[in-house]
Amino acid sequence: MNIFWISIGMGMATAAILALSAVAFTLEYAVSRVVNLAHGEVLTIGAYAAYVSENNFHLNIYVCAVIATVAGALAGMALNFGLIERFRDQKPLSTLIATLGASLILQNLLLIGFGGASVSYGFAQGSLLHVGPFLWTTLTIRVMASAVVVAGLIYVLLQRTRLGKALRAVSQNRELAQVSGIPARGVVMQTWAVAGAISGFAGFLYGETIGTITPTIGNGFLLLSITAAVGGGLGRPYATLGGAVVLGLVMSIAGTYTSSAYQLVIAFGFLVVMLLIKPNGLFVRGRAQTVRA
Amino acid sequence: MLQYWTAILTEAAIFSVLALGIDMIWGWAGDFDLSAYAYFALGVYMTIIMTVGKAKSPVEYVLGWHLPYLLAVVLAVVVVVAFASIIGAIALRNLRDVYFSITTFGAVWAIYYLVENFTPLFNGYNGVFGLFDPMGGTLSYNAYHYLFFGFCLLVLFLVYLVVQRLSRSPFGRMVRAVRDDERAAAVYGRNVFWAKYRTYLFGAGLAGLSGGLFAAYIGAFNPLDWKPTEIFVLYAAILVGGRGNPRGVVLGSFIVYVGFVEMTRYIPSPEARPELGPALRQILIGLLIILMLKFRPSGLLPERLGTDGTRAQRSWRTRFSRSNVLADSLNDDVAIDPVRGVES
Repeated sequence: MNIFWISIGMGMATAAILALSAVAFTLEYAVSRVVNLAHGEVLTIGAYAAYVSENNFHLNIYVCAVIATVAGALAGMALNFGLIERFRDQKPLSTLIATLGASLILQNLLLIGFGGASVSYGFAQGSLLHVGPFLWTTLTIRVMASAVVVAGLIYVLLQRTRLGKALRAVSQNRELAQVSGIPARGVVMQTWAVAGAISGFAGFLYGETIGTITPTIGNGFLLLSITAAVGGGLGRPYATLGGAVVLGLVMSIAGTYTSSAYQLVIAFGFLVVMLLIKPNGLFVRGRAQTVRA
Repeated sequence: MLQYWTAILTEAAIFSVLALGIDMIWGWAGDFDLSAYAYFALGVYMTIIMTVGKAKSPVEYVLGWHLPYLLAVVLAVVVVVAFASIIGAIALRNLRDVYFSITTFGAVWAIYYLVENFTPLFNGYNGVFGLFDPMGGTLSYNAYHYLFFGFCLLVLFLVYLVVQRLSRSPFGRMVRAVRDDERAAAVYGRNVFWAKYRTYLFGAGLAGLSGGLFAAYIGAFNPLDWKPTEIFVLYAAILVGGRGNPRGVVLGSFIVYVGFVEMTRYIPSPEARPELGPALRQILIGLLIILMLKFRPSGLLPERLGTDGTRAQRSWRTRFSRSNVLADSLNDDVAIDPVRGVES
C-alpha cells in the first residue's frame, strides 16, 4: 500500500506538468484550430533556455524560470507568425502536416546546437519529505505549487481579462469575433504567446523533475499532452486540466503494477478508450458534436 | 561504384513500394496515417523471425521458423494486414481528419515502446538478425545483390501495375469520391467506412510487403532502424512526386531517396559531431514538406483520373455534377464549388 501512495504522489507531480503542457496545447487548438505537433519542441526550447542561463550565466533558479517562459513565448509567437498564419487558408490536416515538418526542423536545430548528449541543471535537488502518505521532495512540491499557481493565472486570464474574453470569442468563431470588432489576428498572436510561455515554463519544470535534458524530451511529452487534451476535451482549457490530472494518475497507478517503460502504451490505451466511448472528451457536457472535422 | 548505385536504387525501389501503400491511404482516401511505418517494421520483423530459425540465448523472439523466403514474406503481409485491421477499425470507424492522425500517432509510439521494451517479442532494444540467403549460397556476394536488385524492381513494377490499375478502376474513383465528399458518396449508396477500411488494409499490406523486401536487404533490424519519425521522408517523397498519382509517387521516392543519399555525401560530417549529417537531412525533409505543402501541394505529377487525360478533380466533377448539387443542398460548408458543378 505504501508503494501505491508513493507512486500516486509522483503521479501528481507528472500530472501537474502535464496539465500545463496540455492546456497550452489546447489553447493553441482553441484559437487556431490546429493540432500543433511542434508543441513538444516549445517545451524543449524552454528547458534549454533555462539550461543555458543556468550553465553559462549562473543565474538563479527564478530568473532561469522567467527566461524559459520568455523563450517559450517567443517560440510560440514565431510558430504562429511563421507557420500557422501562413496555412490559415488550408485544411486543418495540411496545417497538422506542416507542424510535423516544423517539429522535425526545430528538434534537429536543437540537436545541432546542443548535441545529442543529455545535460542537466545544477540546481539543488532538495530533500525528501513525508507528507501524509506521500513521499515527495521539496523539488516536486515546488513543481506542483507552481503548476497550481499557473493554472490559477490561466483561470484569471480567461475569465477576468479582456484578452481572455476575446480569446473565448475567437475560439468560438473567428470570423464572427472579427466582425464584432475584436482584432482576431492580434488575439490569436497573444494566445500563442501565452501558450508558448506556459509550454516554456512546463519544459523547465519537466527538465528539473526528470533531471536530464535532451533535444527529444518535449517530443516524448507531446503524445501525453495530446492524450490529456483529447481525453479531457480538445480546445477546452478546464476540461483539458481535468484530463491531464486523470491521465497522470492513471499512468502512475498502472505504472506501479507494470513497468514505467510502458507509460506511453498505457497513455495510448487511455486515448483509444476515450475516443471510443467519449470522443468529445471526458469533461465536456452537452450534446455530442461530431469529431469528423 | 556499381555496387554503390545498386544499393541505393534497391533501397529506393523498396521504399517506393512503401510509398505507394502510404499514398493509397493518404492520397486516395485522404487519411493522414502516421502508423504505416509500424506496419513496415512489423513486416521486417516477421520476415526475419520466420526465416532465420530458432533464437539462441540470450537473443529471444517469437516463432523462430525456418521457412523459405517468399513464403515468409507472404505470411508477414498476412500478419501485418491482420494487425492493421485492428488499428484501422479503431481509427476509421468514427474518427476522421486530425482525430484519425492523432490516433495513429498514438498507436505508432505505443507499438514502438512495446517492441523496444518487451523483449520476448522481437528481442527488444537489441533487435533481431540473421543470415539471409534465399539462393542457398550458390551465388557470389555481388551476383546475389544484383539479382536482388532485379527482384525488387520486378516487385515494384508489379505493385505499380496493380496500384495504377486499381487507381483508375471504379474502386479507385469511389475511394476518391469518398475522400472529396463523404456525405455525397454516402447519399449515392457508398459504404464510407468500408471504402476507407479496404484502402487502409491494402496500403498496410503494401507496407508489410516492402518490409519483407527490406528484411532481405539489411538482414538485421532493431528499434533504432525504425524511428516513427522516419515516415516523414515518405510523406516528403509523396508530396514531391504527386499525391494520389502512382507514377508521381514512384518518381518522388526515387528523387528523394537518391537525392538525399547523394547529398549527404557532400554534407561535412566531422568525427566530433556525428549527429550533424542526419540532423541536417531531417531539417531539409521538414523544409521540403512545408514548402511543398505551401507552394505546390499537388506535386510534380498531379493526380489524374480516368482515361481522357483531364485533371482528376474536373473529370470527377463532370461525372458526378448532380451529386455535388445534392451535396450542397445537404451541407453548406461542402468544399466543392457549386457553380462549376452546375456549369458542367
